[in-house]
Amino acid sequence: METIDTETRENDVQERIIKAYIDYVLMHGEEPASVYAFCKELDISESAFYAHFNDFGQIAEDFWVKQFTDTLDALRKDAEFEAFTVREKLLSLYYAFFEQVKVHRSFAVMSFKESIASLKRENRNLSKMKKEYKFWVKHLISEGLNEGEIAGRSRLTDTYDELFWIQFLFLLNFWKNDRSKNFERTDAAIEKTVNLSFDLIEKNALDSAVDFGKFIFQNR
Amino acid sequence: MKEQDNMPTSRLGRTGKFLKTGAKLGGNYLKYYSKRLVSDAEKANADLQEENASDIYETLSQLKGSALKVAQMMSLDQGLLPSAYTNKFAQAQYSAPPLSYPLVVKTFKASLGEGPGTLFDAFEQSATAAASIGQVHKATKGEKTFAVKIQYPGVADSISSDLKIVKPIVGAMFNIRSSEMDHYLQEVEARLLEETDYELELKRSKEISEACSSIQGLIFPEYYAELSGKRVLTMDWLSGKHLDDYLASAPSQEERNRAGQILWDFYDHQIHTLRQVHADPHPGNFLFREDGSLGVIDFGCVKQLPEAFYALYFQLMQPALAKDEATFSALLYKLDFLLKTDKTEEVTHFTQIYSEVLELLGRPFFSTYFDFSDQDYFAEIYALSDLYNNDKMLRKAKAARGPRDAIYLNRTYFGLYSILNKLGAKINTHSALPLKNLQQA
Repeated sequence: METIDTETRENDVQERIIKAYIDYVLMHGEEPASVYAFCKELDISESAFYAHFNDFGQIAEDFWVKQFTDTLDALRKDAEFEAFTVREKLLSLYYAFFEQVKVHRSFAVMSFKESIASLKRENRNLSKMKKEYKFWVKHLISEGLNEGEIAGRSRLTDTYDELFWIQFLFLLNFWKNDRSKNFERTDAAIEKTVNLSFDLIEKNALDSAVDFGKFIFQNR
Repeated sequence: MKEQDNMPTSRLGRTGKFLKTGAKLGGNYLKYYSKRLVSDAEKANADLQEENASDIYETLSQLKGSALKVAQMMSLDQGLLPSAYTNKFAQAQYSAPPLSYPLVVKTFKASLGEGPGTLFDAFEQSATAAASIGQVHKATKGEKTFAVKIQYPGVADSISSDLKIVKPIVGAMFNIRSSEMDHYLQEVEARLLEETDYELELKRSKEISEACSSIQGLIFPEYYAELSGKRVLTMDWLSGKHLDDYLASAPSQEERNRAGQILWDFYDHQIHTLRQVHADPHPGNFLFREDGSLGVIDFGCVKQLPEAFYALYFQLMQPALAKDEATFSALLYKLDFLLKTDKTEEVTHFTQIYSEVLELLGRPFFSTYFDFSDQDYFAEIYALSDLYNNDKMLRKAKAARGPRDAIYLNRTYFGLYSILNKLGAKINTHSALPLKNLQQA
């Protein structure tokens, strides 16, 4: 029992740090001057801070991871979710995720210091979430392969997780710039990109063409 | 339903589409002039109209939504309805790829705080039909079956940008200066925006169905406020056939007359007694039922007729007016059919045209019974609008004519007449509008 208690308390501290940091950045438009000053204001020891984070940058990283894992937790609680097709699961994830980050929009937008659209120089703040996302989406892809929703295309299939991540980045960027009421344009963007991606990776004319090509090649 | 994968979403993308049409239209004219060199002018002109209509239609139908509606409205209102356009536009409807179920759930949660799984006993995950700016799902709870309408996201947002883009092209289509079009577009924009507000639709549906409850044979679904919100609208599921299916079941002349009569009474009551009208007499909004009654759904588009406009506009319908030139021309000025800037020869010419149009459109009112299956009558309407369209003086005048409040009223009558025509119904055209000297005869 005791260990659980300590763990909860530790998580509390972590959450308090994230909350206070977000608050500070939004109010001041910049990071706190030092970890020391920050801890003093929060009335915790510096060692308590370093037990969770090495520097302020990690807080933003954790913020994004938390958004993502919280979204997944909420989805798993929904009885309908498990019965969904892979396409519907991905759609649900995106809708729920953007619903979730809407609450923290100011901080979220601010944490995109560099444009997340420039794919080469990916935003450091998102790197931890990327790992979580790819882990999840890989599972989703193999589920899709098993269920026949996604066509197996040997080595090409291995790149799908990265392609889905790029799709996610595109949507994040779209949402960042979305000025429509209730971010309805983002909803439309989600709908269209997910549909497009699944139309491409499900069994379609391309597979039949490759199959036919192989057949001709083997029967020369 | 097939998912649509190439709808241009950005403004730039859409503008690009229009430019492409512009180029294509240019090509058509080029063909027209070369054809005219070798064949007779009339034939070449008909070919040109046909080709233009189909190219414009093709572009607009890719754009969907508001852009298409505007073109449709303008073509109706300005009487610029060459038969080629009419045929094409008759097919015009919103159509968009269906919403995914997760987005339906999201819309529910945003509008009502709960998903459809919690609110209903059963909810069909794929849509049964496309509604004008959304889709319809079938749901059940206890004994009851519902039709649940869900709106596409971002519709309201895209309306004004769509209208901005469509303005120059519609102006070019009908040769109207774009500054002249503003008050028309404002009217259309206002109606389209209202259509995106399901809370308003719920209120109006209840009002109008109550006010029309005395009309025999008319059925309205019950609407459920507690299961509706900004973008979700829940009503009873009405059974019945759409016009085409109904006609395919070969109903007798009597049955068709009866259905048509209900429709006529419904519209007459709305226009002349309630002064607000279901301004979307699209065949998809009516259900012909087993027991001979008529179901009316979708009150998204309702036009309120302001008192001052109503009084002036329906004075035009008085048959005595034909003999009283001074009053007639004063009315035309008041209603902006004639403009202060018109030259004398234009005034005579336009007055002549308008009196013909009015006689033609008012004709059903001027006898106790009117047979809407009369193809000659409709041929006359089309012939007149072709004439109107090719009228050199009118096209040169470059002005939009007529009051903005009439746009939706004309559309309503046009829709009503064409449904009655399809039904081939003979109607007792009694009206709450008092027509002096004639109806009594």
